[in-house]
Amino acid sequence: MASLINQIGAVTALNIRTVPQRAAMSIASVVAVALTITVLLFFLALSNGLSKTVTGSGSDDVAIVLRDGSVAELNSVVRKDQLNILATGSGVVQKDGVPVASGELLVIVDGIKRATGTEANMPFRGIGPEGLSLRKGIKITQGRMFTPGTNEIVVGAGLLREFAGFEFAKTINLRGSSWQVVGVFEAPGTVFDSELWADIAVTQSLFNRPNSFQTMRIQLNSASTMPAYKEWAKKDPRLQQLQVLSEREYYAAQASQSTRQFTFIAWGLGIMMAIGALAGALNTMYSSVAARSSEIATLRILGFSGYAAFFGTLVEALALSALGAIAGLLLAFVFFEGRTTSTLGSGFTQLVFKFQLSPAIVVSALVTALLIGLLGGLLPGIRAARQRPQLELAAQ
Amino acid sequence: MNDLVLMRKNLFRKPVRTVLLVVSIFMAFLIFSVMLSFNHAITNFNALPNRMVTLNKINFTESLPIAYYDRLRQMEGVKAATHMNWFGGYYQDPVKGFLPVFAVDPETYFAVYGEDLPVTPEVRDKFFSERTAMLAAKPVADKWKWRVGQRIPMNSNIFSQANGSHTWEFTLVGVFDTPQGSSQTGSVLIHFDYFNETITFGRDRIGWIPFLTTSATVNDKVAQAIDQRFMNSQDETSTQDEAAFNKSFAAQLGNIALVVTLVVGAAFGAILLIVGTTMALAVRERTREVGVLKTLGFSSGRVLAMVLGESLLLSIFGSGLGMLGAAGLLELVKNAMAGGGPPMSFAPIVLWWGIPIAIALGLVTGLAPALGAYRLKIVDALGRR
Repeated sequence: MASLINQIGAVTALNIRTVPQRAAMSIASVVAVALTITVLLFFLALSNGLSKTVTGSGSDDVAIVLRDGSVAELNSVVRKDQLNILATGSGVVQKDGVPVASGELLVIVDGIKRATGTEANMPFRGIGPEGLSLRKGIKITQGRMFTPGTNEIVVGAGLLREFAGFEFAKTINLRGSSWQVVGVFEAPGTVFDSELWADIAVTQSLFNRPNSFQTMRIQLNSASTMPAYKEWAKKDPRLQQLQVLSEREYYAAQASQSTRQFTFIAWGLGIMMAIGALAGALNTMYSSVAARSSEIATLRILGFSGYAAFFGTLVEALALSALGAIAGLLLAFVFFEGRTTSTLGSGFTQLVFKFQLSPAIVVSALVTALLIGLLGGLLPGIRAARQRPQLELAAQ
Repeated sequence: MNDLVLMRKNLFRKPVRTVLLVVSIFMAFLIFSVMLSFNHAITNFNALPNRMVTLNKINFTESLPIAYYDRLRQMEGVKAATHMNWFGGYYQDPVKGFLPVFAVDPETYFAVYGEDLPVTPEVRDKFFSERTAMLAAKPVADKWKWRVGQRIPMNSNIFSQANGSHTWEFTLVGVFDTPQGSSQTGSVLIHFDYFNETITFGRDRIGWIPFLTTSATVNDKVAQAIDQRFMNSQDETSTQDEAAFNKSFAAQLGNIALVVTLVVGAAFGAILLIVGTTMALAVRERTREVGVLKTLGFSSGRVLAMVLGESLLLSIFGSGLGMLGAAGLLELVKNAMAGGGPPMSFAPIVLWWGIPIAIALGLVTGLAPALGAYRLKIVDALGRR
């Protein structure tokens, strides 16, 4: 057994040392794997970044109420009288005798994407007085919060980075009235970072949606009171045709919708490219075996076993694909990891997020690369092991 | 035995190697064809040059008063106008059953979009005359197994009726088979009047106004006149031609053209290296044979042509299979989507780019080994081991 391991070690070392003699094909094989891994990582990091941003936006102890059957805020409708009832539920946090709840209205306005100069959908959210305290981790980094009852807007820092038209201290004309941008807020890693906020009552009147709400957000004492609150709302006949979700559930559903397609694209393209790279790896290894046929034959006559020839080839293939995987990862880190981008989210508005790799993604990319190496080394390895030494040498 | 036979024999002398190369090329061209077709589908609809659309200036999701339609259609340069509302439709399931249902004014809608709606005059008249009539694109009707004459309960994720219900019943009076790349692919059409009378809010507001100008040359003038007309009102407008609107909408998804270019570039870069190095090896292995050929009187030029021909044959074979495979795959995708999403089909632009790329790939990968064989001296070829 020990001698077999020694043999494998010796043959592997020989193979690896002679790779430079087959440099061109070996490099082709490494590059093919590297590009495959980069494409796979690109879409997986996109999908993951989008998903992290959307799911990171929701809390467990905030309830969100939408019209039944409305999948997104944009097309939901909640009536004013329903809002008042919803605020009386059990477990709703009170502040100075007032329930911490916010009836909200999301409208879409056009911004200009900086990278392309084209128009894009910006979410413009009218929020109630408690809207800010309902969201954790929001920081005003420039200027101040809007004053309720006035035409003032605060803008998310993420939106500002990617889109033009809502810069700090700018006056904006919408529906014949002017709005002033009085502050910039940061909500890192959430969808709110790419939103515009204003007072709900002003938003309703200026967008000609009197008394119209789409969603209600309600702060509960704790996440554990959520089921009781849902149950209560379900039973109240005045709250029929509404659905109550925890904010986290809502955003998780949104995330799975928008990321499914990117994950699908990632693996669709990734597998197609991997098959192409595998064909390249097989060719490289078959010619490696062919090029070393007299060496292998000599080793066999010296007493090395077929296993050594097999494993030597397999390890060479794995080493090449591992090198490709590392190169692919490097490309990913240099070109897109952590970069900000935006796309049309499930709420039909632009969502700013970052490409984000995760340990799971890196592992699946490595597994893909090693699978290419394994399959690419297996058949050529078998051919190496089955070689008949006398015939090979006689043929020379 | 002519040169072509010799090239083919050379190409398939190591069948495993050749099959592997074909697989590589096939995959790269499959990726190329599918991605290019996708990019084409989301940026190119059958837009009429004189078809324009007036939207709310704030954003196209904001509505306009119906009075705008009456004013707009009387303006100079407007040949025919209609209006559309987004119904937020879904059949049975809010997510899986999502459908692009539009509430339209039937007669004027056919005046503006007639060529995208190939139905018999009987079906058209039935759609015009029945208030609760519905027309559906054929793939949608097929997917949900709707029959003509059937009553279809359609839900809205936005609107409600007075009794609180979100469900409307429509009678399917016909289906239409849209031309390829049509803007009506997957659409479901219902009557605006019926919709407008039964909704509880948003009444007398319309989504947007598609219209035809008398000629594409007056497009800019008409657009300016319309937007001027409604300037400083509660609902300012933005008027664009159809192609520009489609393009800006596609741009919202992200810089898809760039992503397509990078991915396709990666796929081609990889096969260029794989095929190039393998061809070099294949010709190097045949050094002695090249020497023999030259000894027999084959000119250097003929040997060069034979090696180039071999790599061209390989590239054209693999890329042809790849493009053919993509056409089949896209047909499957199209059927699976049942009219939802962009109108995916094999875009002719794929051939336009694919054929020159295949030829270039064949020439580039064959060039170095061909030149090597061209320069090879008989003495070296036969002396080398």
